[in-house]
Amino acid sequence: MTATTGPTIEVASLTKVFRRSVTAVKDLSFTVSPGRVTGFLGPNGSGKTTTLRCLLGLVRPTDGQALVDGRPYRDLPNPTGMVGAALEASGFHPGRTARNHLRVVAAAAGLPASRADEVLEAVGLTDAGRRRLVEYSLGMRQRLALATALLGDPGALILDEPANGLDPEGIAWLRSYLRARAAAGGTVLVSSHALSEMQQTVDDVVIINKGELVQAGTLSSLSTGERVVLRSPDEARLLPLLLREGSGVEADSRPDGSILVTGLSAAEVGHLAFSGGCELHELSTESDALERIFLDLTRGDA
Amino acid sequence: MSAPARDLVASEWRKVATTRIVWVLTAVAVVYSSVQAGTLVLIAAPGLMEGLAGTVLTDDLLAKPEYITAVLGQAGTASIFVLLLGVIAMTSEFRHMTITSTFLATPMRGRVLVAKMALFAGIGAGVAVVAFAGVLLTTTLALVPFDHAPITLEAAASVLAGAVVGLALMAILGVSVGSLITNQVAAIVTALVWVMLVEALVTLAFPAVGQWLPGGALNAAMAVALRADMSGGMSAADVLPPWGGILVLLAYAGVFAAIASRTTLRRDIT
Repeated sequence: MTATTGPTIEVASLTKVFRRSVTAVKDLSFTVSPGRVTGFLGPNGSGKTTTLRCLLGLVRPTDGQALVDGRPYRDLPNPTGMVGAALEASGFHPGRTARNHLRVVAAAAGLPASRADEVLEAVGLTDAGRRRLVEYSLGMRQRLALATALLGDPGALILDEPANGLDPEGIAWLRSYLRARAAAGGTVLVSSHALSEMQQTVDDVVIINKGELVQAGTLSSLSTGERVVLRSPDEARLLPLLLREGSGVEADSRPDGSILVTGLSAAEVGHLAFSGGCELHELSTESDALERIFLDLTRGDA
Repeated sequence: MSAPARDLVASEWRKVATTRIVWVLTAVAVVYSSVQAGTLVLIAAPGLMEGLAGTVLTDDLLAKPEYITAVLGQAGTASIFVLLLGVIAMTSEFRHMTITSTFLATPMRGRVLVAKMALFAGIGAGVAVVAFAGVLLTTTLALVPFDHAPITLEAAASVLAGAVVGLALMAILGVSVGSLITNQVAAIVTALVWVMLVEALVTLAFPAVGQWLPGGALNAAMAVALRADMSGGMSAADVLPPWGGILVLLAYAGVFAAIASRTTLRRDIT
């Protein structure tokens, strides 16, 4: 793994209209920085794959630009050494072995055939390398797609839904691999339709819905405040105490009998309960708050 | 940009060498052309066909050097398989979506097309050599029981040279057809219907037109006019000179490739 700084990826006012006037991406702009893992998030069909394919010169933008290191992909002097991409798990000839697939791509990229064995080892497929791809599971295909992306030891990785089909162990492995890649200075752009899958992996997020940017920034900037969950037998007395604290405070009963409080920290809720003499049976913060925000941001209104 | 042309051709060769289709179709081509040659010897052999309807052989064909040349020329019947190999080389990239990784490694798409054509020219030539070897062996063995004109080195060399050039061109044509019609089934059906139906009928009805079609041009390139005369009813007057046939085939491949690189190969890969 190289320690060189990866390229910056820039999407500027990108628009893609497919035939029959289907607008897949609309005036989309965002920047992906080296040294960080950027999650490219949105529901299925929101335009993530189209955007990535524009970045990689496979789809021609209708308007705007998608640039790697300031250039369109097809103008890069050494595309495979600059960007490694894993787009989907289906682009393999079923009769070929994994090793031979990699050797085909290595040759086209001007790389020695020995790289095939090196990347097979990097993704843990050494033992299956000589098996024909018709026998490969979805998870193995995902690993092979990643191995293909790694062939040129690129400064940037662009991965489309790489966690699909991976078992929990595989996802954990992918997470630590991508983190290490970014820590070494690489640029990592990884798409997903589920934030929860990526929450522990990404530094930055770019969220799109229906082809348009919803939010871009650091993962922590997504969080709009803590969500506190509590249970109390003195609920009737406690809630007015909490709501009195400010106009931004909300409390909702949930079907499981707990109360969800927004606008106050857990410490503040605990203090108010204590000083009000209310008994608490549970006081915790919501762990999937980000997922909730993500769902709110990308909720379809169609 | 990106890797040198030599690396692209090497990559294309690995694609071919790591799947079975080339080996299978080459074997079929050798068997097919050898059977054709053997059959031509047997139907011309005195005595063997007597009694069959319409087979009154007034001449002793096997005594004619040009007939022996035509028998060797059956190596050219491997051309249909070579055409299909070229078609499949390009269309299987779209069928299995390996075109994605191909274009990621080589974003200048025209370079992929040129590399494939270069490699398949070589493969076409290679198939010509093994098909010719099979035909030569079969012909030699089939001729053993009969009196016949000798197989001259000169005739063998000219047929081999013609087959090498003709099949190399046919493979290039196949790649260009596959890049123009990227749906594999549609491309194969189109190629077969064209060769076996459209071109055969046109050549039969209008030999003067037939010489300008790929099959007629192939015959001209291989300079085996007699074979065409026997099977398609072409007279010698309706066959282009060899260099004319070569140019016509190159023109077809070039035009198809040029159209493809401005249409099908420019399309979004989704």
